[in-house]
Amino acid sequence: MRFRARVEVKLRPGFFDPEGETVKEALNDLGYRVENVRVSKVYTVDIDATTIDEARLLLDEMCRRLLANPTKDLYEVEVQPL
Amino acid sequence: MDLPFEIYEVDLIGSNDDVLMKISIEMGIGLNAEEMRYIKEYFKGEGRNPTDVELQTIGQTWSEHCYHKTFKGIVKTTDGRIVDNMFRSYIASVVKELNPDWCVSVFEDNAGIVDFVDGYAIAVKVETHNHPSAIEPFGGAATGIGGVIRDVLGVWADPIANIDVLCFGPLDYDYSKLPPGVKHPRYLFKGIVAGIGYYGNNMGIPTVSGAICFDEGYVGNVVVYCGCVGILPRDRYLRKVRPGDSVILVGGRTGRDGIHGVTFASTELTKESEEASRPAVQIPNPIEEEKLRRAIIRIRDEGLASGITDLGGGGLSSATGETANKYNCGAVIELSKVKLKDPNMRPWEIWVSESQERMLIASPPQNVARIMDILDEEDLEAAEIGRFTEPRRLKVLYLGYTVADLSLDFLFSPPRAVRTAEVKEDEGGEADFDFAMPNDLSSVLLRLLSSPNIASKESIIRTYDHEVKGMTAIKPLQGLRSGPNDAAVMKPLPSSWAGVVLSCGIKPSYGKLSPYWMAASAIDEAVRNNVCVGGRRWALLDNFTWGNPEKPDRMGSLLKAVEACYYAAKIFQVPFISGKDSLYNESPLGPVTPTLLITAVGIIPDVRKAVTADFKVPGDPIYVIGLTRRELGGSEYYRILNVKSGLVPRLRPSAGELPSRIIRAIDSGVIMACHDPSEGGLAVALAEMCLASGFGAEVHTSNVPLGEPMREDLVLFSESNSRFIVEVKANAEEEFCTLMEGIPHAKIGYVTKSPTFLVYGFDGKSLVDVNVDVLWKTWRNALTSR
Amino acid sequence: MGRKKACILRVGGTNCDLETKVALDDLGLETEIIHMNHLLRGHRRLNDYSLLVIPGGFSYGDYVRAGAIWGKKMLSKFKKEIEEFIEEDKAVVGICNGFQVLVESGVLPGIDGSISEYPRATLATNSSAKYECRWIHLKYHQASSCRLLPDLDEDTVLRIPIGHGEGNFIVGEEVLEEIKREGLVVFTYCKPDGSPANGEYPYNPNGSMLDIAGICNSRGNVMGMMPHPERAYFGWQMPDWTSRGLQPYGDGSLVLKAIASYVERL
Repeated sequence: MRFRARVEVKLRPGFFDPEGETVKEALNDLGYRVENVRVSKVYTVDIDATTIDEARLLLDEMCRRLLANPTKDLYEVEVQPL
Repeated sequence: MDLPFEIYEVDLIGSNDDVLMKISIEMGIGLNAEEMRYIKEYFKGEGRNPTDVELQTIGQTWSEHCYHKTFKGIVKTTDGRIVDNMFRSYIASVVKELNPDWCVSVFEDNAGIVDFVDGYAIAVKVETHNHPSAIEPFGGAATGIGGVIRDVLGVWADPIANIDVLCFGPLDYDYSKLPPGVKHPRYLFKGIVAGIGYYGNNMGIPTVSGAICFDEGYVGNVVVYCGCVGILPRDRYLRKVRPGDSVILVGGRTGRDGIHGVTFASTELTKESEEASRPAVQIPNPIEEEKLRRAIIRIRDEGLASGITDLGGGGLSSATGETANKYNCGAVIELSKVKLKDPNMRPWEIWVSESQERMLIASPPQNVARIMDILDEEDLEAAEIGRFTEPRRLKVLYLGYTVADLSLDFLFSPPRAVRTAEVKEDEGGEADFDFAMPNDLSSVLLRLLSSPNIASKESIIRTYDHEVKGMTAIKPLQGLRSGPNDAAVMKPLPSSWAGVVLSCGIKPSYGKLSPYWMAASAIDEAVRNNVCVGGRRWALLDNFTWGNPEKPDRMGSLLKAVEACYYAAKIFQVPFISGKDSLYNESPLGPVTPTLLITAVGIIPDVRKAVTADFKVPGDPIYVIGLTRRELGGSEYYRILNVKSGLVPRLRPSAGELPSRIIRAIDSGVIMACHDPSEGGLAVALAEMCLASGFGAEVHTSNVPLGEPMREDLVLFSESNSRFIVEVKANAEEEFCTLMEGIPHAKIGYVTKSPTFLVYGFDGKSLVDVNVDVLWKTWRNALTSR
Repeated sequence: MGRKKACILRVGGTNCDLETKVALDDLGLETEIIHMNHLLRGHRRLNDYSLLVIPGGFSYGDYVRAGAIWGKKMLSKFKKEIEEFIEEDKAVVGICNGFQVLVESGVLPGIDGSISEYPRATLATNSSAKYECRWIHLKYHQASSCRLLPDLDEDTVLRIPIGHGEGNFIVGEEVLEEIKREGLVVFTYCKPDGSPANGEYPYNPNGSMLDIAGICNSRGNVMGMMPHPERAYFGWQMPDWTSRGLQPYGDGSLVLKAIASYVERL
């Protein structure tokens, strides 16, 4: 079966986010009044697996091995059948 | 005809002028009525109507961006003169008259090429990317750098340095004054700087030279100049394409991004541009281009190819047409072989797409397999998409069906554009009115040092990698105090001490007062900056950014500036080797400030002899060379005092003598430091030499050689051209003065160990007295706070 | 006896290989720049070399995280070869992106000498949020476990440039304790007088914990550093030779020379 996973990798809370700060400034430069911006990355991954649980396990492994660095990142995975 | 894809025949033959113009607009090809009529006549002769692919091809090839209609056209002046081909009459004629044997290729290839040493040559190109950067600053600036790097790769040169010159509106511009569709200078500034750094840093090409200017005239029209310098072995400049050679398209896939970039660049920005033009901006991928670079250099070194060109404006349509035309042959291209990002693209879209990071390589058929091997090893995609042919026609197929078949003679002889130039007397500004001399010149000096045009650009320069490749011998920021330098020096060959010297000249604030003296001053400044570090045998690049040339006042000032280029280049006996113009820079706020960027590329036989601007030894005498005149029109001093009048600095024939004298003095080792007074005049230049070193200076205005009598403040802040400030070795004054014989020069003071900058007036009273660390912090920190 | 061989590995996006080769050649090593595809296709073998350099650049565009993709690719193809290389006490040096690759692949910190399955440290985005190209002052720690160190006075301050957007070295408390215990800190950013930068910008240019600029593994033969010694190898590459006088070699040569002489002793 094919599943579509949405993986969001974001900095741990409290971790300084220089990219978010830069985006915040840029938005303020465009004339908005923005208080706070945090940047995260979203990966959309299509994957074949026998069950949704297996797909979740595989995605979790991918996150630990490549997509997130445990020292600074948290990740969330949502899996749906396609 | 029943075809398995969409293609349209466009009825030109049966159309009147109104319909012709409608077609031009609807297809987005930006051609005028006369050009459309000319096309109609051609197809009448062919006995058929054109396809959409053919009309697109013509639109791209004849765009201002690709063909430079204005520079190559006919200019009629309102006082009855006719200039036939401004480019040939003024710009290109300099190199023709001087005919230097060290020019390898000028104005004919993707980049200008001059000789270097040990069988190597230097290739250099500077481009504008104003329109895309105004719409999408990050992507526009990044692809500007990417494009100019491909120009250098497109003459088989390996890039060694990037150049960027940017002009913005004031960063504190009032938001409420911004017209709809125009983005705030601060937003553009951040995005453009980030885009330039992104591309150069990712590709590992050091950004070593440039400038940043601020002027109200850039609020509606931001200006982005991107340059690249490369080197190549002279005998590897492969260009011998023959009929039968294969056409290989290499690099990124072709997509819908960047369609109609060139016609977009050749029209004015309007409120609608912001949304409508977004697809015209391309997506940068520097890593793809880095892989391309590797492959191209390997193909070059193995001597496998017969020609190369980059895909820039006009995409495949321009690249194949221009290559075939250059080698006096034709080409047949099969569009279905092109690797696509989106399989549903129509033939004309494939043909004109300006997707980035693509190059066209021509190769004898027997070498194609080896080339493909190299490309595969570098993880690059490629496709053999056609052949060069005997007949001088450009033939385009899609799935075997002919979708375009054009005579190259027709395609490369568009009707000459005719422009009208309004002639105004260019007096170079008005005489000054009298105003009281400010009491406190120390605080005026500090205000000047913190003016955005003068203040350190360190906060930007440090985001550009200027050390990668390990070739940067003289850096954009000097020493541990990060002082200013006049030019960068690259040492590209491990086996030779020879260096490439890069500098630029740009004078936006003079442009509105006198386009003629603005252009002449830019050339003087570029040459002087080069000389200051020891650069010689300069070659120049010209990049014009102007308003709509179809408006006679804009055309008039453009013609003036072009004439000045000839005048100034002849004075220094320096050829133009490459250039690019960007016209139609108009916005709801009016035309862009007329701007000419001059890039100078010099050489220095031994980088160990290079000189920097920072003072070196306390006790050394300081000399000024050249005359200071009452020329403050457009000066930073008048800007901060809000004085609107004044004469713009002139360039006199006697200036031609100075560079060779300075170079001789540098080579004989008597010059310890050298700097050119420009914005802010002698006072700012001296202050910079102090703040870069930590040493002080004691100087006397009464000793400054003057062209005419004037007040002390004008002596200090005049921006007269053709002047140098030098620190002379203490025991070598006599030798130095012998070298300067016959040229105005005078000792104005000494370098001091005590870190104070002291200036005395005519009567010996103190005019300026500032601690050097205060100068340093003022200059260094003015732009860093956001 | 033949000269010792150095392999400078590259992939798409690597861009500091040539200047590194110029320096190592000058030091007398036989240096080759090898595309990883050449190892994959068997044209070259890692164990023919005594020094592996992972140079600077933006490997694979630094997508996902700086150095992450190359780090994982390298391990998935050559884990065994790299483990052997390290166990044979050959030298591995990662500079800038190469340091990021060694951290993301789990080769560094390399506590107890092994490669960790998941990265145990990170080189995060600089706290200034900007790419930083500047000359920094650097102290090296003689007391560290690193065996690739120059034999110099502990007070020596080196001036070497950095050029990176992600150099902020961060580890969890537990790993930090291990790094300290094992003496893995090789280089720290400092002030011009040699006193610790203590996080102060721009002396510490990226916000790194404990001002860390470079670390090694417990075995002492794998080292990663953010500064670029190959850009400060010759005297004319230094930022102020026109005022201080031109020396034949720059400060970076001390670091590279130490690596070369370690390799030559193998």
